[in-house]
Amino acid sequence: MNREKSDSLIGQSKARREDEALLRGEGRFIDDVPVPRGTLHVAFVLSPHAHARIVSIDSEEARALPGVVAVYTAADFKGLVKPIHIDVSMAGYYAPDRSVLASEVVRFVGEGVAVVVATSEYVAQDAIDLVQVDYEALPAIVDMNEAMLPGAPLVHDDVPTNIFFSGQFSTPDFDQAFAAGDCKLKETFRHGRVAGVPMEPRGCLAIPDGADAMVFHTSTQIHHLVREALASHLGRSESCIRVVVPDVGGGFGTKAQVYPEEFIVAALCFKFRKPVKWIQSRREELLTNIHARDHQYELEASVSQEGIVLALRLRLLANAGAYSTYPWTSTLECTGGARMLLGPYKIRNYAFRNYAVATHTGPSGVYRGVAQPSAMMALEGMMDRIARELRMDPAEVRRRNLIQTEDLPWTTAVGVPYVTGSFAKCHELALERAGYAGFRKTQPADRLVDGKYRGIGICNMTELTGGGAMAWRARGLARVSGLDSAMLRVEPAGSVSVFVSHAAAGQGHHTTFAQIAAQYLGANYADVRVLQGDTSLSPYGTNTFASRSAITGGGAVISAALTVGAKMRRLAAAMLGCTQDQVELRDGMAYSTSGSSVTFGQIAEVAYSMSSTPLPSGETHGLETSAFYDPPVIIVANATHVVEVSVDALDGRVTIERHVIAHDCGTTINPMVVEGQLHGGSAQGIGEALMEELVYDEHGQLVNATLLDYLLPTAMDVPRFEIEHLESPSEGLGGFKGVGEGGVIGAVPALVNAVADALSGIGANVNRTPMRPSYLRGLIRGATCTLETTAQPVVKSPAEIA
Amino acid sequence: MTQISEISLKVNGEIHTRPAEPRMLLADFLRHEIGLTGTHIGCSHGVCGACTVQIDAKSARSCLHFAVDVQGCEIRTVESLADGDVLHVIQQAFHEHHALQCGFCTSGMLMTVEEFLRECPAPTDAQIRSALANNICRCTGYANIVDAVATAARRLRGEREEASK
Repeated sequence: MNREKSDSLIGQSKARREDEALLRGEGRFIDDVPVPRGTLHVAFVLSPHAHARIVSIDSEEARALPGVVAVYTAADFKGLVKPIHIDVSMAGYYAPDRSVLASEVVRFVGEGVAVVVATSEYVAQDAIDLVQVDYEALPAIVDMNEAMLPGAPLVHDDVPTNIFFSGQFSTPDFDQAFAAGDCKLKETFRHGRVAGVPMEPRGCLAIPDGADAMVFHTSTQIHHLVREALASHLGRSESCIRVVVPDVGGGFGTKAQVYPEEFIVAALCFKFRKPVKWIQSRREELLTNIHARDHQYELEASVSQEGIVLALRLRLLANAGAYSTYPWTSTLECTGGARMLLGPYKIRNYAFRNYAVATHTGPSGVYRGVAQPSAMMALEGMMDRIARELRMDPAEVRRRNLIQTEDLPWTTAVGVPYVTGSFAKCHELALERAGYAGFRKTQPADRLVDGKYRGIGICNMTELTGGGAMAWRARGLARVSGLDSAMLRVEPAGSVSVFVSHAAAGQGHHTTFAQIAAQYLGANYADVRVLQGDTSLSPYGTNTFASRSAITGGGAVISAALTVGAKMRRLAAAMLGCTQDQVELRDGMAYSTSGSSVTFGQIAEVAYSMSSTPLPSGETHGLETSAFYDPPVIIVANATHVVEVSVDALDGRVTIERHVIAHDCGTTINPMVVEGQLHGGSAQGIGEALMEELVYDEHGQLVNATLLDYLLPTAMDVPRFEIEHLESPSEGLGGFKGVGEGGVIGAVPALVNAVADALSGIGANVNRTPMRPSYLRGLIRGATCTLETTAQPVVKSPAEIA
Repeated sequence: MTQISEISLKVNGEIHTRPAEPRMLLADFLRHEIGLTGTHIGCSHGVCGACTVQIDAKSARSCLHFAVDVQGCEIRTVESLADGDVLHVIQQAFHEHHALQCGFCTSGMLMTVEEFLRECPAPTDAQIRSALANNICRCTGYANIVDAVATAARRLRGEREEASK
């Protein structure tokens, strides 16, 4: 345990244990779980209207179809499942409970209106077309600015002015501080609506287990929270519901929600006393899985002549869609965006107002990065505007505002503690790797080289990771614990089973938790097996979202390993005739300082009374423990992305020439897995910045609910990332920080700034995503038409300014 | 529409005969009738590529074909790639390069790449990327997949040279 770093399992790029089954096609995703004979299949009738009154539902023809068992509407679920209620106490928040199927009124296109229960999936699909629903269309509101205007159609009668949540904050004497600046800048940043779009849509399979219990397989990231939600809404005990997570084909937060379909499938399973299965279609996935972003940041900065940011004032709108989502509510985006806007900078004066606005669109939720990509886009976009205004180099403006190592621990103006980090170091490292200074030296003022506008963009970012109990208590979310857990057991022959309260969707838990357990127990890596994603296997936990597994699960595994390891050393000491201090556990053996040794198997034989050596007096049988870990309130990771782009002057198409990432996620468990997270997250950021957007028309129709129309990045769109690793161990057990979301958080703002820089020579103002060719071509045409009358900004190097 | 008839498919060298509707998709036949669940359905409209199999050695979307239409063809799925305990060269390269995370798109990727490397045994990075553009991966950001394909191409060329000696 006290060995040199070089032979530590922590920090090794161990190849993944989960790969082989997946590569052979032997993974078991939700639609691959064997179904018992007699399983019923369900399909949903979805609303084609964004806002309408349900006049009548005629399911007679559907019910007459051979193989159809039932057609249920909202009324049929009364008494089976309660309306979805989120137990939260937060000032400024109110959203009504949600019926699992629309009752009387539909509020977004895709909302479930009826569910068909049939003996096969094909029959269920046939039957939904036979359900006749008569609607009276009502006026719909899609745009959040319009939704807040007096007289706008209300999404819910009891949510006046369509505001689910509003909050405000100000540091003391803010107005005075803001007034003190030499220059004031203002910009409105718009971030488009996107979605996580995991390659596997959702699904669930509920199987009766005796007369009053159920095994519920579901493609989720949060099995314990699903169990709790099902139990409380179905009036059952948690002990009667076992939630099992199969292989999950991507989550990204979209599966860290509890959805109406899960309540419905569970309720139908209890009702019909038969297995019930539902697999989501891609269209349903795009219509009904949580959407994300759709934010507007109105940001004002007060800056000194030297480029020091004295104060920031923000008004933030987040489009929450039609319903608050379980269990996070519709507040996380607008509170997170406002809270994280200060990033890695020493900004002491800050005021904001934030709003979560109800509209007749799909409900929003916690997609990878939550509001941090848009918050950093606004913050870093403002840094570039400050640089342009003061004719300074954008890197120099950042340099003057960054939190330095000697400033740590730093507490932001809104109270977020930054204990360790490498903000300035990351910035310099990324600039150096990207050849930033050289690029600036040769970049022409009009940015035009060979028919392409060329620019470079920087994003210094912070990422909130982990999140302990205090963080969730502060948010008022009563049913989100913050703890995670591990149960570690040395089996009688000496192998090690580790049950963690997490569930993976591609993150490599089977490998990384085994590395941690083997390292801290002194076990053979090959002898450690990790099990997860089953409420009956592991103790309670908060599960897998918000870049928390390494921190919370890792801490729990360490804690469990140390406890079991201590007992093993005591037993080994008795066996070896030495004191426990003289025992070292290593590679599945216990060694005494005198050189004698026993194996884990031999120690286990004593612990399980299978040996002629008796259990030492005072010891209990077995070699296992459950450990909970409550991490620090929040652990902040940081990174810098530097992106070089070219924008085709004719068609507005963006090419990413280089993408450099310097990042710091504390102690690295498995560098290969960490790089994989950065690659994947950054690719999603590229999609978000350049092509992805869920588009609603003015009637509330989602016009691109297919993968033909909702563009995802392909291998042709994503560059090779150049990555630099820094390690500032966190204050948590093991020193880990999260890294799951950093890629997307850093990529979006860096790309926006790079494109903005490329088009700065022609005076175009890039302030929104996605930056599709049509948008950029419009900017280029508009700008070049009036170029003669536009003064060209000149970017001076720091040397020139000095 | 719901008439059921015998459908007989040759999959991975073995004939499977099952009663099925004419409208049954090849993907559903493979997955639910004969239990080869390695082929995944990501979008059902032919875009994402997760369901890619090979029909007569050409990669094809199994969500866009009716099972009844491909009777008489040789269907090959991901389950056929490994040789017992030994992974296929492409599978091994994916493992070494961390070219998969959640693994949902992987089966389709592998079937696309297997055909691609037969057609283009010495690809450039640009050619690899172009070939992979048929298959969407939401986890990896593709670079590791590109590297895995390059490694697999190199090893397969080596195997062929060895065999021709």
